[in-house]
Amino acid sequence: MSTIIEIQGLTKQYGELTALNDLYLTLEEGAVFGFIGPNGAGKTTTMRILTTLLKPTSGKAWVAGHSVTDDPRAVRRAIGYMPDFFGVYDDMKVWEYLDFFGACYDIPPNVRAGMIDDLLALVDLGHKKDAYVEGLSRGMKQRLCLARTLTHDPQILILDEPASGLDPRARIEMRELLRELKNMGKTIFFSSHILSEVADICTSIGIIEAGRLIAHGDMAEMQRQLRTHRLIQLRALGDTLPLQAFLLSRPEVHNVTLGDDADLPPGTLRVDFSGDDNALGQLLADIVAQKLPLVGFFEETGDLEDVFLHVTQGIIN
Amino acid sequence: MSEITELPKKRLRSLRQNPVTMKELRSRMRGRRAFVVLTVYLIAMSVFVTLIYAAYAAAANDPYGSTDSRQAGKAVFGGVLTIQTFMVIFVGPSFTVGAISGEKERQTYDLLRTTLLSAKTLVTGKLISALSYVFLLIIASVPLQSIAFLLGGVAAEELIVSQLIILVGAVTFALWGLYCSSVMRSTQAASVATFAGILFMIAGIPMLVLLFSLFASPIMAGMSVSWVGEVILLYLGVFLAATNLPAALIVSDLVLQQEDAIFFFQSSFSGRTFWFPSPWPIFLLLYSLLALLFYALSVRRVRRIANK
Repeated sequence: MSTIIEIQGLTKQYGELTALNDLYLTLEEGAVFGFIGPNGAGKTTTMRILTTLLKPTSGKAWVAGHSVTDDPRAVRRAIGYMPDFFGVYDDMKVWEYLDFFGACYDIPPNVRAGMIDDLLALVDLGHKKDAYVEGLSRGMKQRLCLARTLTHDPQILILDEPASGLDPRARIEMRELLRELKNMGKTIFFSSHILSEVADICTSIGIIEAGRLIAHGDMAEMQRQLRTHRLIQLRALGDTLPLQAFLLSRPEVHNVTLGDDADLPPGTLRVDFSGDDNALGQLLADIVAQKLPLVGFFEETGDLEDVFLHVTQGIIN
Repeated sequence: MSEITELPKKRLRSLRQNPVTMKELRSRMRGRRAFVVLTVYLIAMSVFVTLIYAAYAAAANDPYGSTDSRQAGKAVFGGVLTIQTFMVIFVGPSFTVGAISGEKERQTYDLLRTTLLSAKTLVTGKLISALSYVFLLIIASVPLQSIAFLLGGVAAEELIVSQLIILVGAVTFALWGLYCSSVMRSTQAASVATFAGILFMIAGIPMLVLLFSLFASPIMAGMSVSWVGEVILLYLGVFLAATNLPAALIVSDLVLQQEDAIFFFQSSFSGRTFWFPSPWPIFLLLYSLLALLFYALSVRRVRRIANK
């Protein structure tokens, strides 16, 4: 596998604001990379630089071996870009939309007719070929936009929040489509602010916050790391200090947050715990054995991203 | 030789295959809107021409009225030309003013910029599609204009010169609108900038000249202007007329009618004869240069990779 996207020290500043801070990233050909982070973290800025729409303040990036600043045309030939919004032309039919973008990629007219049918079949919009684009549902528009990114058969797809604003059914359809594209051998670089949504299709992920890439790596490894951290909430009766002291003495407890310090009700403690269900059961048994009065004990059910951001917030702070 | 004949063919093919032109024309001519506008425009023009003709026909029955059909021909020609001028100044730019800013507002601009579509193709496509409709309206009005020839009083040279001025003016004003559209983020802002610029060219320069002459006339009242000054003033007048589309139309027509000259006319000052150009060739040159400048600036603007 060869490197298909390489980012070295990419920084983007808007006046005083640093949108992207010294980003380093390498992606192998055929990878499905999930770029995760909250809104304003720098995901779109990174993608706009990679798609030649934005100039970086400093640093370099190469896509399919071409510099995004020195050879933008070659980069555009190699990528298919889907922004997080869907621009619609009035008075345009679905096939005309794809035909227009096909022509924009210099695809000859005699090739375009067959290509349109194939692409519409791929995104399951063959029955909407003669429908007007503005009349499509949000999910259909997203699929059409994805088909548009494929008109010139690019090596790399750069998709900004492809599932954003979709209903659950459309999200599943979009995920299936991405899986299909992955099987077709495309390299997919896509962003999302919901980690759990991308976890099952990504081969690698990167987590970005405040313009800094705080974690990056192979998906399986990252998931293992994430699963070792669990957030447990405990409600103590009376004084919480003995319980807190006991918890902090346990090796599997990394941190204890008091209700008074966090967004928790008084008398509640949030425990950053690493261990499986057996270890968790043992902890509860030991608390009871110590006769520490307890009226609540449960695990928080936030998605993987919440857990990860909670665990890694120390890096940013 | 074959290469020489192949080149225009290739250019024509590339213009015909410009995806932006095809898309815009398809959208514009789809539905009833384009045909309704064309029909209403032609009906309005027909009513206008009929009214002028009727007025002159009524005057012919009047014992004190004019019986010269050439006057009616000139009036019809002038009236149609006035409407064409209005179209070129206001309708043409209104088609281009949202050409690029509209893409930004629809959020399709980034989609286009990540394709292989060159900035030149995009700008040319937008220009051609906007001008095609304006030219369609102008050409559709030519049969009405030709009524002037039936009535007499209008020479073929007048028609050619006026249509050349209209044509070049249309391209320049449309490109000015396109440039404003490429610079501004919203169509509203682009419209304000475009029409402010056009109003300055059409009304601002004559107003400044008028103001200058109003201030200058009391100062110059007691002064006698030498023939050199008169010559310079006439040259200046011709040049100023060449900067302004309606003035270029009127003065060029006057030169044609009164001096019977197409390119140059002569005038004598203190026994010396001088040659003066008709404003229309200067207008064509000046506006063609401006058109090229606006085109180059628009392409540069579209090609630019954003900093923000």
